Amino acid sequence: MRKNTARLAALALASAMVLTACGGSSSQNTGSNDGGNTDAGNTSAIKDLVTYEAPIREQEGFFILNTEKAADLNVLCNMYSPLLEVDANGQLRAAVAKEWGTEDGGLTWTFKLRDDVKWVDINGNEKADCTAQDWITAMEWILNFHKNGGNNASMPLALIEGAEDYYNYTKDLPEAEAKALDTSKMLEMVGIEAPDDYTLVYHCTTNAPYFDTVMTSACMYPISQGLIDELGVDGMIGMTNENMWYNGPYFETTFTMNNEKILTKNDSYWDKDATLFDTVTIRMVDATQQYQLWQNGELDNISLSEADLRTIYDDENNKDHAYLAETRPKKFSYQMHLNYAKNNEDGTPDTNWNTAVANEAFRLSLYYGLDLTKYWSRSNFINPLHNENVCYTMKGLLKYSDGRDYTDKVQELLGMSESDGEHMRRYDKEKAEAYKKQAIEELTAQGVTFPIQIDYYIVSGDQNALDTQTIMKQIFSECLGDDYVNFNIKTFVSSVTKEVIQPGIHSYYISGWGADYGDPANFLDQERYGYDGAYYSKNYSRINQATDENLIATYKEFSDMVEKAGEICDDMDQRYDAFAEAEAYMLEHALTIPVQYETQWQLTKVNDYTKMNAMYGAQNYTYKNWETSTTPYTTEQYEAFAAEAK
Amino acid sequence: MSEQNQKQNQNENPSNGFEFVEYSPEAAERIGYSDYSYWKSVFQNFLKKKSAVFMAFVFFALVIFSFIALKIGKYDYSSAQIMSDASLAFTSPNGEFWFGTDNLGRDYWCQVWYAAQISIKLALIVALGECVLGVTIGCIWGYVRSLDRIMTEIYNVINNIPTIIYMTLAALLFGQSFRNMAIAMITVGWLVMARNVRNLVLMYRDREYNLASRCLGTPVWRILVKNIFPYLISVIILRLALSIPQTIALESTLSYLGLGLDVNTPSLGILLRNARNYFLQYPYLLIFPAVIVSLITITFYLVGNAFSDAADPRNHV
Amino acid sequence: MTKYTIKRLLQSLVTVLVVATIVFLLMRMLPTDYYFTEDQVMKLTEEQKNDQLLAAGLLDPIGQQLLRFYGQLLHFDFGVSRRIQTGAPVLKVIGTKFAISMRLGCTALVIALIIGVFLGVMQARHKDRIFDHIGTAYTIFVNAVPPLVSYSLVLAFGAHVLNLPTLYSTRNVGKSSILPIVCLALASIAHYALWTRRYMVDELNKDYIKLARIKGMAFKDIMVKHVLKNAFVPLVQYIPASFLMTISGSLLAERFFSVPGMGPLLTDAITRYDLNVVQTLVIIYAALGVLGVFLGDVLMMLLDPRIKLADKGGSR
Repeated sequence: MRKNTARLAALALASAMVLTACGGSSSQNTGSNDGGNTDAGNTSAIKDLVTYEAPIREQEGFFILNTEKAADLNVLCNMYSPLLEVDANGQLRAAVAKEWGTEDGGLTWTFKLRDDVKWVDINGNEKADCTAQDWITAMEWILNFHKNGGNNASMPLALIEGAEDYYNYTKDLPEAEAKALDTSKMLEMVGIEAPDDYTLVYHCTTNAPYFDTVMTSACMYPISQGLIDELGVDGMIGMTNENMWYNGPYFETTFTMNNEKILTKNDSYWDKDATLFDTVTIRMVDATQQYQLWQNGELDNISLSEADLRTIYDDENNKDHAYLAETRPKKFSYQMHLNYAKNNEDGTPDTNWNTAVANEAFRLSLYYGLDLTKYWSRSNFINPLHNENVCYTMKGLLKYSDGRDYTDKVQELLGMSESDGEHMRRYDKEKAEAYKKQAIEELTAQGVTFPIQIDYYIVSGDQNALDTQTIMKQIFSECLGDDYVNFNIKTFVSSVTKEVIQPGIHSYYISGWGADYGDPANFLDQERYGYDGAYYSKNYSRINQATDENLIATYKEFSDMVEKAGEICDDMDQRYDAFAEAEAYMLEHALTIPVQYETQWQLTKVNDYTKMNAMYGAQNYTYKNWETSTTPYTTEQYEAFAAEAK
Repeated sequence: MSEQNQKQNQNENPSNGFEFVEYSPEAAERIGYSDYSYWKSVFQNFLKKKSAVFMAFVFFALVIFSFIALKIGKYDYSSAQIMSDASLAFTSPNGEFWFGTDNLGRDYWCQVWYAAQISIKLALIVALGECVLGVTIGCIWGYVRSLDRIMTEIYNVINNIPTIIYMTLAALLFGQSFRNMAIAMITVGWLVMARNVRNLVLMYRDREYNLASRCLGTPVWRILVKNIFPYLISVIILRLALSIPQTIALESTLSYLGLGLDVNTPSLGILLRNARNYFLQYPYLLIFPAVIVSLITITFYLVGNAFSDAADPRNHV
Repeated sequence: MTKYTIKRLLQSLVTVLVVATIVFLLMRMLPTDYYFTEDQVMKLTEEQKNDQLLAAGLLDPIGQQLLRFYGQLLHFDFGVSRRIQTGAPVLKVIGTKFAISMRLGCTALVIALIIGVFLGVMQARHKDRIFDHIGTAYTIFVNAVPPLVSYSLVLAFGAHVLNLPTLYSTRNVGKSSILPIVCLALASIAHYALWTRRYMVDELNKDYIKLARIKGMAFKDIMVKHVLKNAFVPLVQYIPASFLMTISGSLLAERFFSVPGMGPLLTDAITRYDLNVVQTLVIIYAALGVLGVFLGDVLMMLLDPRIKLADKGGSR
């Protein structure tokens, strides 16, 4: 499949041109608990939640099908209802679809819909019933190039039968004609149908046993034909909170750009058992100002900036000292993507680096030799090891039928024991020394000069990135020695893609992947050799331009393993096993090097472990079934929540 | 905008009438002979302004000290950059770290002085560039009659486009580096200088004594240099001096917006911007760079004003 | 007079149009990659990018784009925003913001005018005495020190000592506006104090004042009736422009205190490649700038009958 995902991480890194938001700030995360009901009888629960969002992440639009930006979806997921949603454990659960399933290994999927879902306007007036037709209307919109400009189309194009044909068909039509299309032509061409108003059937291009997880994504949300008739095709993109139709848990009753949004409970929301807030206020607050608002009682949760955390943590008598709570990891798994076909800035190949990185001993000396504890301390100096990432796939994304986490299996294959909370598990000084010696010998023979220059690029105005990479430079120097490698921090102006990745002038680049849907293939496909849809190996690692035969053979071996694993569609446990083996193979050969998860510290009156723990899809910030308390949770309480979630 | 050129108090009150004076040949001689030298008068006038002289001294002391400071500091800037130590983060100023440490536990003293040098360098380069470009264009604009109309229109147009557009586009198109920043600032900054110079040239070129000079066959360059230039000097110096605080202010604003210098060349603006994240808890991170910035800008402001007064031939007695 | 006004307005129109054209061209200098988010640059194929650019009309020859732009201007159609508020008409986006900037700006300006002029008068009156020196020190400080420093000082003082909110809030507009207004007023106060003092000192040295004093008029009366009135005339010229330009907001102050006003809009729009918003903003600012100057001239003429506009000959 071509192009993928909502990868906020790189965005957050790169677009941090507006620096004040450095500390990275967005209280996502989610929780595990039974999901359906929360303590409704809890009298100390918050009725009107006030939370925050970083000023650079302002909502830009209201039309969920038209946007892939997290800043939009974090709000919009509260205003629309999907077929399926996730619970606090990250498992799928019924939403508008009561039942769903496949009988042919993921080729055909049938969804049975509830019949009590209503579209209402901002005043709560009923506008229409929400039926299977609305998903068909939405699919037509997404696939119609002239209506949606290709936004959100990548997953449907790859997964749904005939979608690509219809997309190209509309693209070739004149604009006016394409905009006038109804769903009839699409129904003919594309594998989607509604036998009756409350049944929806999708036909996939291949066996996709994970297709139901795609239902949580923005591209699979419904839209009513009635609304299109009301606003006109041209008016849809510019719809506002005041003229849109809602079928989700909240209305967006107030929208003051760059200042605040107020969501108000939708009384006609279909899920009558859900615990909802009366109102949710989302204020745009710079990380440096959150603590002050917290002290004034104006925010119910805040992320702590470096300076605030330091002050509170160091002072036992600080009144917030006992309330420091650690966030759950964000949904991104960060990797060091080595560049196998690096160019110098003048466009000539950097042979020295390319020879070195193709050498497995060299890669393994990095893999075992870098003690990243200090690097992790940047965002979490209290428990740096909570940022430790040893796998490629994100933990918590996939579970075996017995409830075991997929990444546990990978760790087992890698021979890793449980973390002791103090030492980085992968770090092995002796092994690293041995590989370093071997690499020096082998590479000297190949004419490589030492120290090997490593170029890492950061955006030129970003102090936070500079600080972080300064630490990395120090780690390289201390762990591997200045005679072996030399780490250079270089800068780009605004677009990492255009200025660094496409010309291939980086030695490696650290980037985080968040899942699009619930399958290991979504992670491992990104590293395949010679595969057009491989986001990382094609663009970041530039493996297809590499020349070293051993390296290519290793990559091919890995790609075969992934491909074979992908063919197992009937038994998910077997499928995961096969993927885990491929992943372990990739890591053992250090084709990419896992770097970190993202955790940080906060003060909060919200139990993160009761939020939807969406590892994929758009639902992270759905303010539904959240457990809250009018007094802040203490560190102990939060640790108990975390232990329970495990 | 604030060019001031305080024409102070001249005659307070001429006292009671006239008196007869004895004829004296020496006194007559003295009146007849003038040893007037333009630059000598400028310096004499300037030296009379004690506060300005003092500030000029402070500025030079600051520049010299920024070099000494880097030498006597316990940490060298380039090596201190990679000597981070989380356990030392946010150490308040003490005997070891004279200005304390930053968020990574690095010595702040060497950072502040290093940044001060960069800021001063940038400001001086920009001021000189503006001056050269502005005076050249301003003279042409003022002297060549036929150009005046079109130049004025161009000035109006450029002046009506917000500076921030130029600066943002420059940062996006050419990248953020010391050189680009200096060029971008000069390309925007010459306008005011050119306008001022043009006004003065226009004012003086057709004065009677210049007409007379021209009639007597004095070459144009001589008129420009001897008769008009002295009048320009004061304005040029004033602009030059004012442009320095303005450059520093603009640079710090742009840095705050993320459009300033490259992070690898830390200016005081960048330090101030970073301090924004911490100063409520650790005020010293703001205070040190702020005090130094203020010293630089205020000295230039005062020295510039005093010097331009001194350079104005109308104030020479 | 009418003829002059019409001529002047037509000239202004040309200026605004040229400004709009230049900005239009400047924005087209940005590589079209800025049209896409970082994510899209990476994920979309060249063909898909081309399709989108084509649909947006950005691949047409520049002349054709420019003609289309003029055509829209003729109908006062400023287009819709793309990234600031997807699909919303630009004027609507601006409409939600400019009132906030103007309210803060005008309040600050009024305060600055009152305090600044008062300060200037007092300084002139007590020239070369301690009060004058303090005032001068203040003006020098504010003029010389970068706003980033002075705003930080205001913020630190306001937050720690006075316990004022440092974040603008729509629910507590009054209190949360105090610090931004103080910051905005600081510089203006210095400006007005400086010039009031200058003009008054100049005026005080004039012969007619000496005559008035010799006549035995009370010093206070002279100050108010003659000196201030005359000194005020050159000051007045810039006041209309100052009030009009409060619409544009203050980039730094609004960023600093998270005011949802116009200040940051321009840079945001540029970095998000929201061309329509950039163009509209620049047109509005240029038009207001030109209008402000014109109004200033008119005001000056009204106050001082000796000044005749037509004599000045058009352009400034």
